[in-house]
Amino acid sequence: MENLLEIKNLHAKIGEKEILKGINLTIKPGEVHAIMGRNGSGKSTLSAVLAGNQNYTVTEGSITYLGKDLLKMSPEERSWAGIFLGFQYPVEIPGVTNVNFMKTAVNEHRKQNNLPPLSAAEYLKMMREKMAYVEMDPSFSSRGVNVGFSGGEKKRNEIFQMAMLSPRLAILDETDSGLDVDALRIVANGVNRLKREDNAFVVITHYQRLLDYIVPDIVHVLYKGKIVKTAGKELAAEVEKHGYEEFEK
Amino acid sequence: MAEFKYIPQSEIFNCSVELSGAKKFYVLDGKPMGFSAKDEVIEIPSEGDLLTQVIFVRTTPHPSSYKVRIFCPAGSSRAVILCAHTTGTDRYVTEESVEIVMEENSNLSLIVMQNENGASSHHSTFEITQKSSSSVSMNIITLHGGNIANRVNCSLNGKRAEVQLSGLYLAGGEQNIDTTVNLRHNSGECTSNQLFKGILGGNARTSFMGEVYVAKDSQKTEAYQANNNLLVSDTARAISDPHLVIYADDVKCSHGSTVGSLADEELFYMRSRGISEPEAKLLQQQAFAGAVLEKISNVEIRERLSRLVERRLRGEDTLCTGCAKRCC
Repeated sequence: MENLLEIKNLHAKIGEKEILKGINLTIKPGEVHAIMGRNGSGKSTLSAVLAGNQNYTVTEGSITYLGKDLLKMSPEERSWAGIFLGFQYPVEIPGVTNVNFMKTAVNEHRKQNNLPPLSAAEYLKMMREKMAYVEMDPSFSSRGVNVGFSGGEKKRNEIFQMAMLSPRLAILDETDSGLDVDALRIVANGVNRLKREDNAFVVITHYQRLLDYIVPDIVHVLYKGKIVKTAGKELAAEVEKHGYEEFEK
Repeated sequence: MAEFKYIPQSEIFNCSVELSGAKKFYVLDGKPMGFSAKDEVIEIPSEGDLLTQVIFVRTTPHPSSYKVRIFCPAGSSRAVILCAHTTGTDRYVTEESVEIVMEENSNLSLIVMQNENGASSHHSTFEITQKSSSSVSMNIITLHGGNIANRVNCSLNGKRAEVQLSGLYLAGGEQNIDTTVNLRHNSGECTSNQLFKGILGGNARTSFMGEVYVAKDSQKTEAYQANNNLLVSDTARAISDPHLVIYADDVKCSHGSTVGSLADEELFYMRSRGISEPEAKLLQQQAFAGAVLEKISNVEIRERLSRLVERRLRGEDTLCTGCAKRCC
């Protein structure tokens, strides 16, 4: 099967500090990858680079997404092509309501596919359906994007947005951080409902906890900007039991 | 903010999209049409419960100077919208003074909408005097203009008087928009609340000079003042100078001002969801303007002005939905 994503020898820096030092990673449709690692290992940098955050500079290597050079695409072009980043710290946008935000996003995606914009009624129906995935109250739609949301509500909002945009490749950056067990279950159920044969997930996390709910096919350990070990889901349990030290020798 | 081309009205102004529950009047080059001026003062007619809409249009390039008065008798409640327009691209010079008299327990909701060509010069002074328990809500929405100066002098002369002053100015190109507020708490237990916001593009220049004065015996005063400016070009310049002068000791007062540009992390977040960069910026600008537009209590006017603001920010004609003319 065609690769969804192929990262080769990726080096990236922020300011003068090199964070990624030669990442190689291939993702095929239908797969769930987990990337584990300590703070500062480069997990969030990798997700930011994939989404096109211009604070990071790629100095070497390549990323090919569905046969195209991802690094040449703007953040919005990546989104239109099916990439979704679930933010570790979702951004608050005062004054822009959730409904206006997502409606604009959904309709821009439709425009790219030569589809007419959704009517208000069509949008509302779709929104209610996807909000139910993450047990989100429709009243959130009239509030400013993430403004005054609790940590758990913000993460649910990320998964709701993912459901609305139906991505081919979703990268979830520490979606489990700051979540209690109930919120974790809700978020994980939302993700599991969106799994298809033609899409893939990259779940970035410190802990095995989330991986009990979203079961990965492949687990990678990231250390100092490189993937130092790749194995099946049993690797997550090993990390949980022994910590990261043994990979850092 | 996209570069905006103001397209003036080519014939005598006639707003073709009616506001519901409104009675419309015209003032052409300072001369009231179909209603009279007393002692050279244009008295804004009172139409009972109806909204009084007065449309001021400039048609000839001669300088125009006129006086307007809005009188709110004791216990009355009025709603007024004043719109200023130009019919051509000449350099119209307008000097306007608006006297607003608030008797005891009276209530006024006033909207001032300014949409003039880029060569026009329009100076307005609003002189508000308020007696006890009177209440004023005033919004100044400046969509376009060349050289616009709005001065608001408000004196709270009786206890428990309240005033809400807000303004939104959109300045692009070579526009210059100045706002000056002088708010005097001459009596105690009064409340004033000011929110002025500006979005600046091109080489625009704006200034906000605001003073809140609290007299010695004006205890239990509440006075808030904020001015926020959003710069969307590198060459626009906003000056902001709010200040408080307080002689009473039992008061709640605050003021603040900001001049900034769009937040990058908000922009990236929106773009990562597939919202294109221009559309994301527009959403941010609309959100910024929204805080002022929200204060307009008449839903119909609020929605209409919100739409006009959006069109202005997009660089489209500021045309009301359903209107074939090019004025507001």
